[in-house]
Amino acid sequence: MKRQRIWRFPAAWSLFRRDDRLLLILIGVIVGVCSGLAAVVLNRSLVAMLEWFHGYRLYWWSFLLPGAGAALSSLFLNNLLREGAGHGVPEVIYSVSRYGGLMRMRSSFSRLISSCLTIGTGGSAGPEAPVVMSGAAIGSNIAKFFSLNDRQRVTLVGCGAAGAISSIFNAPIAGLVFSIEVILGEWTALNIIPIAIASVAGTEVSRLLQGNRIPFAHREFHIQLPDTLATVGLAVLCAAASLLLTWSLRRMGRISRKVPAPQWVRAAIGGCAVGLIGGYIPVVLGEGYHSIQAMIDGAFQQGLLLVAAAVFAKTLATAFTLGWGGSGGIFAPCLVIGSFVGLTYHRLLEAVWPAMNWVNEGCFALLGMAGLISGMLQAPLTGIFLIVEITGGYEVVLSLIIVSAVSTTLCHYVESASFYMKDLVDSGHLLRPRTDARVLSDLSVRELLETDCICVHPNMLLRDFIDVLQQARRNYFPVEEEGSNKFLGIIHLDDIRPYLFNPGMYDVVLVGQIMDTEVETVDPQEDLQEILSRMDAMRLFSMPVVSHGVFLGMISKATLLDRYRKELMVQTQHL
Amino acid sequence: MELQLFHIFRNTPLGRETLLQSAYFCKSVGVRPMLYIPKSTKFLMYFENDVVQVDLDSSYLTASETARANAEMLLEQQGVAAEFFKPKHYTASTLPDIPTDFDFMCCPRSISDLSSKIGLGYIGPRVRRIVQAARFPVLITSPVYKPWKSVAIFFGGSVNAVNAFKLGVRVSRATGAPLRMYTQPGNRDRSEYERILEGENLMQELKDRVEDWIFFDNGSFEDHLYDVPHDALVVLGAYGHGLIKDIVFGSKMEKIQSVISNNLLIVGPRYTAGY
Repeated sequence: MKRQRIWRFPAAWSLFRRDDRLLLILIGVIVGVCSGLAAVVLNRSLVAMLEWFHGYRLYWWSFLLPGAGAALSSLFLNNLLREGAGHGVPEVIYSVSRYGGLMRMRSSFSRLISSCLTIGTGGSAGPEAPVVMSGAAIGSNIAKFFSLNDRQRVTLVGCGAAGAISSIFNAPIAGLVFSIEVILGEWTALNIIPIAIASVAGTEVSRLLQGNRIPFAHREFHIQLPDTLATVGLAVLCAAASLLLTWSLRRMGRISRKVPAPQWVRAAIGGCAVGLIGGYIPVVLGEGYHSIQAMIDGAFQQGLLLVAAAVFAKTLATAFTLGWGGSGGIFAPCLVIGSFVGLTYHRLLEAVWPAMNWVNEGCFALLGMAGLISGMLQAPLTGIFLIVEITGGYEVVLSLIIVSAVSTTLCHYVESASFYMKDLVDSGHLLRPRTDARVLSDLSVRELLETDCICVHPNMLLRDFIDVLQQARRNYFPVEEEGSNKFLGIIHLDDIRPYLFNPGMYDVVLVGQIMDTEVETVDPQEDLQEILSRMDAMRLFSMPVVSHGVFLGMISKATLLDRYRKELMVQTQHL
Repeated sequence: MELQLFHIFRNTPLGRETLLQSAYFCKSVGVRPMLYIPKSTKFLMYFENDVVQVDLDSSYLTASETARANAEMLLEQQGVAAEFFKPKHYTASTLPDIPTDFDFMCCPRSISDLSSKIGLGYIGPRVRRIVQAARFPVLITSPVYKPWKSVAIFFGGSVNAVNAFKLGVRVSRATGAPLRMYTQPGNRDRSEYERILEGENLMQELKDRVEDWIFFDNGSFEDHLYDVPHDALVVLGAYGHGLIKDIVFGSKMEKIQSVISNNLLIVGPRYTAGY
């Protein structure tokens, strides 16, 4: 290593060689500050754009604005940066699951700009997922710069995500919990400490540049037992709304892919549809935080039917924005829809039991937000801590727990994975740390190949084969065609047992006559999980690996278990 | 375990030349070609400490319906069995992940001038990043099919050059092709270069396999490149300095490939002698 570049390899410094926690904390602070800054930049840009476009909302053609924004966003992301579209968070989880958190440099800014174009012009989406992706990519690239290993890189990806969420919501605990519960899926002391520090760094950056304010401050709620009991009904409603939003987003995505037009045209169509909906129900436009504040304050004037319609309108607008190619996340729409659901439910309760002294409707709006976030992300702790922090409403924590827990459970009952993880689970790409799938994914057929088998030819006499047998340490003998080395079959020790004690057969029987030709073989490109499933299904303990008709070696459960254990020890040695 | 060369097939006349070159390399060295017929113009390669997005130009999607048959026919003509790679993992729906555990990769030159595309009139930043990050050597083919008859190693004394020497010797041993070495000595004399090889226990290989070791004692490096046989496979190590040094001083790799049209086998700093 060159002396002048040693600062690029801090993990090799004697200070950090024995224990890298301090190193991760120090770099975590850098990552937290950078991701916090990214969040502030996006937040400020969004505010500026929304204010700038506000004056044009009165014109008849204003419905074209979200369309233009979404089209520009799509062109920027797919044609200029060639990023490959997506919501952001699933890509971060995928990278953590499969590639040790490796992410492209361009991801650290691409979603910031594209989501700004989409949301700033009125698209119904949130800036949180883009800043999570940006923060995670910043963490990943800083880890790459310092040549850190996979485990350290994954922690810094978590630091980036936590710093971003902490900064944008001024909510350090929510950032920490989101990062661990949703992104990493691994609660270890090694992760928690650097991520907590990064959350603090991200929050401090936000407070320094934007002031220390609670995003949705509210007056005190005096929640009574009937209110707490009523939250169960709200949780059911939130779960239904979460499922509706999930279903709409997927359905819209499928419909848009069928439209024979370039991606930016589809994004423009979706954006214009949002603009049209927004022409009648303006609260669906943008990230919608103004309406949340009004609902929490109890100042949302519209009646029950209009509020209920707003739930569907916002769901539809979000599906049009994200499903048709706009850029942004689902955090903010979840908060808006959740507060609409809470308000609808409160007004229903008041209509059915007018004599009851229900708590202020703002409280139910707040609980609805937690229900939607928990249902969509299937991450109850994130829902609870986020709402507690962004509203300062610790007095409703019991009801928050009920809503979050019930909503998550009901959503999980219908959808086995959250919106972020559904595709990853379906394609087998969600590999959480220390799970069977994760350990197996880090092993390959090449590593497990046993090449000390003795190959025999079909024309070999049994007598010659018995000579080979005496030198062998294995029970399997692959049979290859003489000259071409083509794999023909296999002889197991059990196959020759009937002839072994009959010397009269030694010069009569050929290997080709007793070999098993109906052998299940493995291709070297196959996944180990598939191979193991086949072995289990057929009750096999080993299988020959054959590529293009040529025998390469054997793969056995015994070797697999041995390597599996070693891999597991590597993955867990720092816990 | 058989060795594999990863080749991105382009169903155009230029792609045909490149595939023929890859097939010739595979046949000579005893490597199996793994062909990828792209369905989208971009893919990701996740290396140990880097992720490289490769943006292909749209010619890679030309006549996709006949691509497989054409590729199979070309390989069959060369007597090489075709194997096709189908991505299993996707970062996004249009962004497949290509594994990085191949033994060789072919990065073609093309007539394109766009620096953001793979396969360039000059070696673009993407190919350079692949060379920097990969454990495998990268084969940059000549613009037209040109069977090579000998191996030429460019040896500058660096760690990468030592790896290039090892690879060149192995290619020469596998193919029986004669091996020559070329060095632009700079401030060092021949004995110092020999000491470097001695330190790596490669003196015996030098004596046994290298037919001639030519030192370019005076004149510029580019002028001497004319001495390299036109039908030699040039094996060289990438120095691997940063972007700024590349811009200021230029890349040696870039100079070599812009002066000679030979097939190049480039060894990066992370190359492990898997072959």
